[in-house]
Amino acid sequence: MTAMFRYRAPRRRDELLELLAEYGERARVLAGGTDLLGDVRSGLARPAAVVDVKLVPGFGELAWSAAEGLVIRPGVTIDDVLRDERARSSYPLLAACAQDLASHQIRNRATVVGNVVNASPCADMAPALLCLGARAVISSQDSRREVPFTEFFTGAKRTVLRAGELLEEIVVPAQSAGARGSYRKLKRIKGHDLGIVGVAAMAKDGELRLGISSCAPTPLLVDGLTTRDPVDEVVAVARAAISPISDVRCTKEYRTHMVGVYVRRAMEEVA
Amino acid sequence: MQISVTVNGQVCQRDVEDHWTLLRLLRDGLGLTGSKEGCGAGECGACTVELNGRTVNSCLVLAVEADGGSVRTVEGEAEQGRLSRIQEAFARHHAVQCGFCTGGMVMSVRDLLQRNPQPTVREIQEGIEGNFCRCTGYAQIIEAVLDVSGQLDDSSVGDLRHV
Ligand code: FES
Ligand code: FES
Repeated sequence: MTAMFRYRAPRRRDELLELLAEYGERARVLAGGTDLLGDVRSGLARPAAVVDVKLVPGFGELAWSAAEGLVIRPGVTIDDVLRDERARSSYPLLAACAQDLASHQIRNRATVVGNVVNASPCADMAPALLCLGARAVISSQDSRREVPFTEFFTGAKRTVLRAGELLEEIVVPAQSAGARGSYRKLKRIKGHDLGIVGVAAMAKDGELRLGISSCAPTPLLVDGLTTRDPVDEVVAVARAAISPISDVRCTKEYRTHMVGVYVRRAMEEVA
Repeated sequence: MQISVTVNGQVCQRDVEDHWTLLRLLRDGLGLTGSKEGCGAGECGACTVELNGRTVNSCLVLAVEADGGSVRTVEGEAEQGRLSRIQEAFARHHAVQCGFCTGGMVMSVRDLLQRNPQPTVREIQEGIEGNFCRCTGYAQIIEAVLDVSGQLDDSSVGDLRHV
């Protein structure tokens, strides 16, 4: 890594937000580092300051309350979610997506917040959060706003986050607890590769939602479906919602085809 | 920045640059070259070490992030010049060819066996999903893990059909 930057590790929340305000566009938040440090190495990111969120008290906590649901803070790793009995049993879809994300080494380090902030079209946690109706709580030095994940992603690697803002909490609502879920991801090999197509399905009280990754500039939610809808119709709706491209991994025709295959399988699993 | 890290049980104090990776600290700062840099991007696992009890790709961790923490590398395996049981099994089953992946591979296997002392072949494959080996084709590595976990009888040693 040749790039120079200042490493800052504030121990207080207000100090962290102050640093983000001070550096603005020139700061990058460091959580797990699994995306950021790769981008710094390849020259894609050239931050003046790398601001570590992990030393702020409470930022590594995964909290649950019957009123709020699951609250995921910026230091919570993918592995933390998998180890949390409550998160696993209440939100099986969240666990399924977490389990399919990269390798042990990455899951031990990468965070849920980082995965969505990086906003890759193939972000594994996004389909789950979209289906579960999660929302982002975004803070800056002088503001706090909430954005549902359906409005969070604005393009490939782009989100509604502005300079100086921090995605401080992901709230997965209590109403989604207990929903059945399944995640199917197509990839050439396990562990090292980006997904080719990802389909998450969630079913609760007859309602069916699909979260689709790697098939559009952003991860997508397809809702307004029911578990009793004919499978062919659901496949048609999902195919109409995506806008896949051809790239080094496969053609758009293959992606379109596989979305159909995976929607069928996912529907069977949650039925 | 001045940091203090416990590496293989020894407290080390070093002055590091903010942008140094943990891998660079281990290799260039401490001379522990068992962890390799294959990709530098979190894909190959050749740099795998244990940080505070969890395996990580040390190419994707800043050295400063390890301040106050505890790191275990493949150099921590052998005791008093004797290879660990995992290392011995690797040697016995020819699970090492060029050796570039071995340091990281051993760390992932160690982590796997701590979580799951008798893994199935499927679970072994899953346990080393983050480690590339370009030489062995993995069969010998899997055999070594079956052996060290007491799941290989003498008659099947060298018979890779079970893999
Ligand atoms: S060198 Fe770290 S994963 Fe390849
Ligand atoms: S022994 Fe050469 S890469 Fe594994």
